[in-house]
Amino acid sequence: MNLLETAIEGNVFEVHIKYDDLRISRREVELTLGYMDAEIPPHFSGMIDDALLELKGRCEIKAGYRLTEVARPPGRYDGLLVGGNFLRMDKIVTSQLKKSERAAVFVCTIGSSMETWARGLMKDGDPAMGYIADTTASVAAEAVTNLLHDHIGERMLSQGMRITNRYSPGYCNWSVSEQHLLFSLLPKDFCGVTLSESALMSPIKSVSGVIGVGTLVRRKDYICDRCGVKDCTYRSKRPAATNQKTSHIETSGT
Amino acid sequence: MNEIVEQIGVCIERGKVNQSSPYPNDMKGQVGADELAKEALGAGVGPDEILSACNDGMKRIGERFSRSEVFVPELLMAAKAMNAVMAHLKPYFQTGAVKAKGKLVIGTVAGDLHDIGKNLVAMVVEGNGWEVVDLGVDVKAQKFIDAINKNPGCVVGLSALLTTTMANMMKIVKDIKSQLPSTRVIVGGAPLTQKAADEMGADGYAPNPQGAVAFLNSAGQV
Repeated sequence: MNLLETAIEGNVFEVHIKYDDLRISRREVELTLGYMDAEIPPHFSGMIDDALLELKGRCEIKAGYRLTEVARPPGRYDGLLVGGNFLRMDKIVTSQLKKSERAAVFVCTIGSSMETWARGLMKDGDPAMGYIADTTASVAAEAVTNLLHDHIGERMLSQGMRITNRYSPGYCNWSVSEQHLLFSLLPKDFCGVTLSESALMSPIKSVSGVIGVGTLVRRKDYICDRCGVKDCTYRSKRPAATNQKTSHIETSGT
Repeated sequence: MNEIVEQIGVCIERGKVNQSSPYPNDMKGQVGADELAKEALGAGVGPDEILSACNDGMKRIGERFSRSEVFVPELLMAAKAMNAVMAHLKPYFQTGAVKAKGKLVIGTVAGDLHDIGKNLVAMVVEGNGWEVVDLGVDVKAQKFIDAINKNPGCVVGLSALLTTTMANMMKIVKDIKSQLPSTRVIVGGAPLTQKAADEMGADGYAPNPQGAVAFLNSAGQV
């Protein structure tokens, strides 16, 4: 898919993604809810349809990234210098990114309207609809991230480079507190996403992270078997369920 | 009489809230937990008996959830049906005619915003006759300690989804135990295991809402 991007400053780009680009299906939401083999009750399928309709009006997509330099300090295996900041990523992420020559530090969001709606439903005594709305919003946030990831891949390929899987603070033993360092590499309030003192993103349905770029790197289909976190919430997700190349998505708020 | 009480349990398990609720499909048009609870109380059924039927219904759906036969939406519909009954029972709780089994103070630990799991546990625990004090998300140790002081004898439930917030969870458990050592703490969430719970000094680990109920009931809370 050809997405438009605008250079904001230097190597910072805003990528224009529209709701129609997401193409979220009811089945995708069903799978995320857990109905992989079991049949979903028709009542809940109807709720998903309602949530998807609502999503269309409430999606406020913003996405962007900054291309920056990557270096590995000699003798260190617990992180990388990204844009001059040492990001302590633990060995899992470090090993996946170590051959990168550059990094795309990204952030994207679907805005706060869906989460506000979902919370309202839960508060007003409709927890099932609230949960389905929240899950639909999470699927949308991941779909935006997938498009951004693919877009960065296409841009880099046009320059003769390849990309890695994406990694986010909060997953793969990469501390969520590192979000502050990651965000310091981006313009203030980039894409309208801000961080709390505890390094949590607002709007909640936002994703941030790092993608490695270089001639010696590649994007892998499945890397969860490299990670020691056996009980990670994303481990059980299959690529087919999430419609993305890497099953190990790293969302900080979804 | 017994039939009404049994049917209340069935409505809870199936998530049949009231007559106008279209869910579940095969119970469309039938009366639900709301009408049956009202009818039962009107017919002189004791609120304790109704609560017990609710607990049985919640237990059954909780067990089916644990076996992955149903998923979160079904559990939430059951919780909604339970809430419909609880609205009728509320006056009996207030007068003391029905006593809550105890109190659970629950929250998602500092550094984590995920609350679906925590909310599920809160609803299922409440449906099993416990009073729940929900502190929300991104909760620091001091807020838990303040809540424990306000609710003496409560059990504390800590939830986390992010693997990296387990360190915060461990600190919160330690802070609670150092200041209020007799407080029982139960932990849960995707990255947790029994081993991790033991290492952080928690009294219990719940892999699912039903596990939390089992721990609480065995804790013999006043």
